[in-house]
Amino acid sequence: MTVHRAPAGPARPTVRPSPATSVAGESRRPPSAMRRRRALVAFGLLGPSLLGMIVFFVYPLVMTVYYSFTTFDLSNSPRWNDFANWRFIVESDPLIGTATRNTLWFIVIMVPVRILGAMAVAWVLSRVKRGSGLLRTVYYLPALIPPVASTIAYVFLLNPQNGPLNVLLKRLGIHGPGWFTDPSWSRPSLTFLSLWVLGDVMIILLASLLDVPTEQYEAAQLDGANGWQRFWYVTLPHMTPILMFSLVTGVIGALKYFTEPAVASATAQGKSAVGAGTSTLLGWPDNSTLTYGQLLYAKAFGANLFGYGSALAVLLFIVTAALLVVVLRRFKAFTPEVAR
Amino acid sequence: MRHRRNLLAVVAENATVITLAVCFIAPFVFIVLTSAMSAQQAGTSFSWPTEWHWENYRAVFDKLPMLKYFGNSFVYASLATLFMLVSSVPAAYALARIRFRGANVMFLGVIAMMLLPPQVTSVPLYVMWTHAGLTGSLWPLILPNLLGDAFSIFLLRQFFLTIPAEYTEAARLDGCGEVRTLWRVILPMAKPGVAATSIFLFFASWNDYYGPLLYTSENEGAWPVSYALAQFRGARSVDWNLTMAATVVAMVPVVLIFFLAQRTFVQGITLTGVKG
Amino acid sequence: MRPHASRRTLLVAASIAAVAALTACGSGGSAAPTAAAAAPSTLTGTVHFWHFFADREAAVIQSAVDTFVAAHPGLKVEVTAGQDDQKMRQAISAGQPIDVGLSYSTDQVGTLCSSGDFIDLSDYIKRDGVDLTQIPETVLSYTAFDGVRCTMPALADVYGLYYNTDLLAAAGYTAPPKTLDELADMAVALTTYNGDGSIKTLGFMPLLGYYENAESHWGPAVDGAWLNKDGTSAIGASPGWKALLEWQKGLIDRLGGYAKLSEFQAALGQEFSAENDFQTGRVAMNVDGEYRTAFIADQAPDLHYGTAPFPAAKGYEKQYGAGYITGNIVGIGKGSTNPEAAWALIKYLTTDPAAQVALSNGLKNVPTVHSAITDPSLEVSDQFGTFLTIFENPASQTTPPARIGPEYQTIFGTHTQKWQAGEVSDLTAMLDQVDSEIDAATKLQAGS
Repeated sequence: MTVHRAPAGPARPTVRPSPATSVAGESRRPPSAMRRRRALVAFGLLGPSLLGMIVFFVYPLVMTVYYSFTTFDLSNSPRWNDFANWRFIVESDPLIGTATRNTLWFIVIMVPVRILGAMAVAWVLSRVKRGSGLLRTVYYLPALIPPVASTIAYVFLLNPQNGPLNVLLKRLGIHGPGWFTDPSWSRPSLTFLSLWVLGDVMIILLASLLDVPTEQYEAAQLDGANGWQRFWYVTLPHMTPILMFSLVTGVIGALKYFTEPAVASATAQGKSAVGAGTSTLLGWPDNSTLTYGQLLYAKAFGANLFGYGSALAVLLFIVTAALLVVVLRRFKAFTPEVAR
Repeated sequence: MRHRRNLLAVVAENATVITLAVCFIAPFVFIVLTSAMSAQQAGTSFSWPTEWHWENYRAVFDKLPMLKYFGNSFVYASLATLFMLVSSVPAAYALARIRFRGANVMFLGVIAMMLLPPQVTSVPLYVMWTHAGLTGSLWPLILPNLLGDAFSIFLLRQFFLTIPAEYTEAARLDGCGEVRTLWRVILPMAKPGVAATSIFLFFASWNDYYGPLLYTSENEGAWPVSYALAQFRGARSVDWNLTMAATVVAMVPVVLIFFLAQRTFVQGITLTGVKG
Repeated sequence: MRPHASRRTLLVAASIAAVAALTACGSGGSAAPTAAAAAPSTLTGTVHFWHFFADREAAVIQSAVDTFVAAHPGLKVEVTAGQDDQKMRQAISAGQPIDVGLSYSTDQVGTLCSSGDFIDLSDYIKRDGVDLTQIPETVLSYTAFDGVRCTMPALADVYGLYYNTDLLAAAGYTAPPKTLDELADMAVALTTYNGDGSIKTLGFMPLLGYYENAESHWGPAVDGAWLNKDGTSAIGASPGWKALLEWQKGLIDRLGGYAKLSEFQAALGQEFSAENDFQTGRVAMNVDGEYRTAFIADQAPDLHYGTAPFPAAKGYEKQYGAGYITGNIVGIGKGSTNPEAAWALIKYLTTDPAAQVALSNGLKNVPTVHSAITDPSLEVSDQFGTFLTIFENPASQTTPPARIGPEYQTIFGTHTQKWQAGEVSDLTAMLDQVDSEIDAATKLQAGS
């Protein structure tokens, strides 16, 4: 969600190596010299990425853990602080509860709503006979534009007093809410925005939807199943893996959710941050949109508490890692397949 | 009777399709309308523009170094993509086609890196780039791609796996080395996949906000367009009409690229394996 | 089979080596620049000067810099405009060679001085015999921290009440309010409503967070204290805050409640654009800084308005005439490669009466040296004059520099947001909570 990393499609196991191939491979085991050569070539090809993994993944993780036990302001060397960061997390931080609750809200409400929305749109698209190409483009387009642009646009559209939506609602005799400026509406407003840009999820759901073998529908119809039953017994089981995949990537997206709430609160506030800095604009109104990732950013890069920010990062990593384990166990796309 | 029910269903379906389309399109219409309003009108209750101020678009370019921002975005996105290709295509090939010890660990590492929220490693990486003296520029966001981009490696590997093994084996039997097999056999067949992966990374870089916020915020000369746009109203107090004009300007290149490369894009998504 | 063992060992070894390398070259190595025995007779080289101003204001700064450079041939000043405090602080910590840094507020003085990001200027000041008595006590207090003078004040921002004379006259008022109760009555009288009950125009906005409505800017009305000498929070023990917040609550209710006001707030015009609510007449009275006079002259020249000190609360009448002062601060970055030229520029900007007058005339900020304030060439309109008087009022207040920067104000603000929304029932308990959160944050920053 921060960086819209495209419709990551490969959820469903694709062509999997049949056991037969593997066995055949075993029996024609190449001589060890050749194996060694092959490994050498593989590492040659992988070398840069292996280095990248150490420099940009392993090393920072180790350092984050180290910094989390220090007071560190970037100007002076890190100094061991007797678990002060961790004590502050547990005992004192007034915002960590708020930020965690907000992030949980996005995970529990926004992610499923978005997937359901994408599913509904995909379903509508799958039934269209003429012009489906054009429609797919129309429905997908908002997902492409920079999140900063779509967020600013939405803050304008949902401007409580003058925005087009509330002006329209007023004509219908409805008094529109404060949207991004009301603490109880700001998260729903962000969810609303996430529905506009649901195209990335929608596209992969659509592909899977179109992929259900027609014979299965016909068979179900012969058995006297109605539309709903066909959906429940044929479509849904077929799509379960891809839905789960969308859910997991959605949850991970929500864990790093940053851009949209940051831009929304800065834009909706109408207060200038001249001179003060980005982190002073986060969370508005009333910290209702402050996400965990934003808290981390504000503490480290806004308040120069790099040690404390690292402690928050370690916690975030632990949660992500737990999720990762689930991902690796459940999804075949993520399990290493034997190379051929 | 049956015929009429079908007709009703068709009408209902079309109505749904059209309503949905309106919902997705309407925001664009409102944005464009507002971008052509006077500052005064844009600040009051929304209504049809009383007079057209298309010169707002010029004002955006006069007020801000938009071309510079676009240039920065372009350098960021294209260099990142180019570097990714150089590093990640071979890595993905090795993971997809060569059997070697440690492949599994490597692959799990790729998955983990891909899914890790960027905030987790922000602090040490920032410190690292500080030591390298590269904060205040886009290089901390571009250079890592030289050492592989996890998401791209993952995606490319999935593409490579869909290419039947027979081709690789035939090439090997012909005495081709791995590098030549990759170059002569796999790459030509994986063109759509490579193209799609490139577009994904290009877009991700173009749209990135968090990275530029971390590394370029103090140097306006390095701002890419998406970060600059966020500063436009939030920090600079600019009226809605110009904000909307700038928003439109920021959208245009992405939409253009999408239309030009739409086939590759859709083909790429389909090829990722979703459709088998 | 243990196929990965060797690789794993390799990985671990590599990462340990990397960690060791990076920790060894940890920051804070290079020595900060120090003053030479005597000021150099000629200045050469380049000065990197970072400031936060943009657009019209940046041009004013540039002209001051140009005048300085003209007097020092051989010296070049490279200006980087549009910086904010966080970015500048980060860039200095990251070791970028910033010679002169100018920040818009005093919020970072505590961190800049205590971290060593800005170097101690005392030696330069002593050596060149700079007369600090030209600068009011309050201003001196916010430019140093813990005995370390690492910044000099370069013009000040002073806050007071702006009022629209036409709107006040139409409602039968000829003078601005002097007490908070008067302010509240006038605010109610000047507020008009739409047919659907929503607010059309507002007399005075009582919500904190609206434009320059901030605890700090209202604080002088009740002599509100922030921090004790030892750095702990003084908010809970300062009775004024409670009075102020209760007054605010009363006014919110009289104007129709929080929801109505926040809806009005949501449609505000951007603060520094021509659509600013005070400039368009949407709001009749507003708290703002002296710089607003320049924006009005530029964007709303036909507006009839007056300025006055912010009203005082009941029981604090003798506070009337005081206001909130903060200001631009300027210092030398620890990575400076040309500290003598940097100091010369700072001395010029902050103590040269002619430079101060020129800057003040251009920016419409208050000069910080007395000789500039009394300089006949300083352009003083009636509206601007109010702020000069507030500035030299000994009861005027500031927000003290702290090791935690502006964090203590942010914490207070988090709670007042809840308070004004009506989510707090026990005000005393809330203020105690504010105290304990500030104290905990201070402890964390100190690493204990």
